[in-house]
Amino acid sequence: MQAVLGFAGMTHLGLVSGIAAAEKGFTVVCYDPDAARIAALARGELPVSEPRLDELAAKNKPRLAFAAASSALKACDVVFVAPDVATDDQGNSSLDTIDNLLDAVFAATREDAVIVVLSQVPPGFTRGKQRENRMLYYQVETLIFGRAVERALLPERYIVGCADPSAPLPAAYATTLAQYACPVLPMRYESAELAKISINMCLVASVSVANTLAELCENIGADWAEIVPALKLDKRIGAYSYLAPGLGIAGGNLERDLATVCSFADRYGTDAGVVRAWVANSRHRRDWALRTVYREVLSKLDDPVIAVLGLAYKQDTHSIKNSPSIALLEYLKPFRVRVFDPVVPGSAAPNPRRHDATSELDACTGADALVVMTPWPQFGKLNPAAIAQCMQGRVAIDPYAILNAGECQSAGLRRLTLGVRP
Amino acid sequence: MNRNPGRVILLGASGFIGAAIGRRLAALAVPVVAVSSKEVNLADAAAAEKLAALIKPADAVVMIAAITPDKGRDAAALIRNLTLMQSVCKAIETTGCAHLVYFSSDAIYGTAVSRVTEDTPACPQDLYGAMHYAREIMARNLANVPVLVLRPTLVYGLDDTHNSYGPNRFRRAAQKDGRITLFGNGEDIRDHIHVDDVAALTARCLLAKTTGLLNVVTGISRSFYEIAEIVARQFASPVEIIATPRANPITQRHYDVTNLIKAFPDFRFTPPADGIARVHRQMIEADPCRK
Repeated sequence: MQAVLGFAGMTHLGLVSGIAAAEKGFTVVCYDPDAARIAALARGELPVSEPRLDELAAKNKPRLAFAAASSALKACDVVFVAPDVATDDQGNSSLDTIDNLLDAVFAATREDAVIVVLSQVPPGFTRGKQRENRMLYYQVETLIFGRAVERALLPERYIVGCADPSAPLPAAYATTLAQYACPVLPMRYESAELAKISINMCLVASVSVANTLAELCENIGADWAEIVPALKLDKRIGAYSYLAPGLGIAGGNLERDLATVCSFADRYGTDAGVVRAWVANSRHRRDWALRTVYREVLSKLDDPVIAVLGLAYKQDTHSIKNSPSIALLEYLKPFRVRVFDPVVPGSAAPNPRRHDATSELDACTGADALVVMTPWPQFGKLNPAAIAQCMQGRVAIDPYAILNAGECQSAGLRRLTLGVRP
Repeated sequence: MNRNPGRVILLGASGFIGAAIGRRLAALAVPVVAVSSKEVNLADAAAAEKLAALIKPADAVVMIAAITPDKGRDAAALIRNLTLMQSVCKAIETTGCAHLVYFSSDAIYGTAVSRVTEDTPACPQDLYGAMHYAREIMARNLANVPVLVLRPTLVYGLDDTHNSYGPNRFRRAAQKDGRITLFGNGEDIRDHIHVDDVAALTARCLLAKTTGLLNVVTGISRSFYEIAEIVARQFASPVEIIATPRANPITQRHYDVTNLIKAFPDFRFTPPADGIARVHRQMIEADPCRK
């Protein structure tokens, strides 16, 4: 018989994982102590934006139960504890929520239920939560904002932290994981917790390489976009490597792991100099847009109007956590800005002289410069000629190269992009 | 948000940068008490008391008085400079003040660092740099005083007396001998800021009551050869640019001005060509024979 699954903590990770499990055919109990949140979910109102999430929630409604009472977890054979772990500006985790939720789950579940910590926790966390006669595991999640559903349905592998990695996984948990038909790698708790961090450090290293070399390209006259395909064909680097230059590391999760590694290195006296250099490089590149806006516009024009497309920290998400767009807008407070994002309301921007545009072209109207701060796919469909017609100036700052280069040139726009000299 | 800085006590008002700040504040109608060594000799034992009689708690204080490197870089100059700062700190400990702007120097950074931000660790290579770093700490140790430390790079302008390697010395050499002598081929790269920009930024900081640390730089570095060429272009008669055998390795220094942009996103720096031309015009206006 198929296991009944529980997911505790109905924020991004728990919600996506729960709905994906229902899509896989499991009966799923979605628990959160916040009654208002549960009521909204029961009405079909999802607090996060992810491709296919609304569709799958509606499709699998018969298999999804939303509960604000922990007693509903009694029916579950496996309960994943999956609240989003909040971080502060320095990337430090606040573990209060998961501590409390885990206590509630232990109390509400059957003794034979398997409890699996799915949230991102620091090494040592899971072992510290073990209880006698209870089965506790830690499972690495690799949620990617904007691709969360796809990742939850088609995981590359499961990394499972165990008290004793040589012991077989409990049947209910093992058969659940088997449903996803991917490799399962049991290991000790600490290894699994550090595996998650290791994955993220590899990603940060790649991104840092991209950002460092892209900046050189901008000065030397090379084009990073020409170099990337050559790197991806190198098996040691890989076709899926993170080599797109960006405006620093954002979103919160990678920053959390950077902070965790530095904090552990400080505690044990190990060397984290390279990690701190990644953090410094990330901060430096985050301000690329500000420096470019300054060089191209602010240092030249009196009281300019700046159009900003995109507020979210990346495409296909509502999240503005550590968003480069919001960081840029913070420093554009003295100026007139016209902002547009397909999901995030203009009120998320802190600018007193702000026009909340109703469309991309409305944002561009009368602007001296356009800055595309989030690579939403729909921005790529914009016609640069139409943009140029709306704008007063000709500067198009397009870090992610969303706008078509040739069309920008034909339209007379001066397009400035990461990784290439204008 | 600009706030009225109230009155500004300008210590070192008769110096090259101090005078420019005084002029800038006067143009902004900010009341200034200009203090030079004639009014209060900060090296005197009674200086702190004299200064305390001048400073009111609501005043902003700009401390730019120093024995400059051209007058000495030795231990005696270091001790004398610390004494000047000690007088200022003693006075402010008595009176308090609303804002202290301490003028340091980019000499506190290691010479081997090619890219400098405000986060670059201090690593003074000589007593002059060590002096400024010590004086920064003295300023920051003042209790309940909002402190801004400014670290200017190479400053040029008509009245500069330091005559250090760069636009000022090049202009004088070109005017006097018709030639500019470079170290090597002038490949070393530096950021040069016009004194009027230094004064304008200081005034902005006073109006905004900025605290913390800012490098006072333009963010655009040029080789000494490029600077020499710009200087040479100002003269009607040809100026020879002479390379010499290089005694030291090439050093390159760039500044990241992101923090300055964040603080004053509408500030505009004088491009070197304009700044050097301005100084040249001022030189001719001051002495029309010097064309």
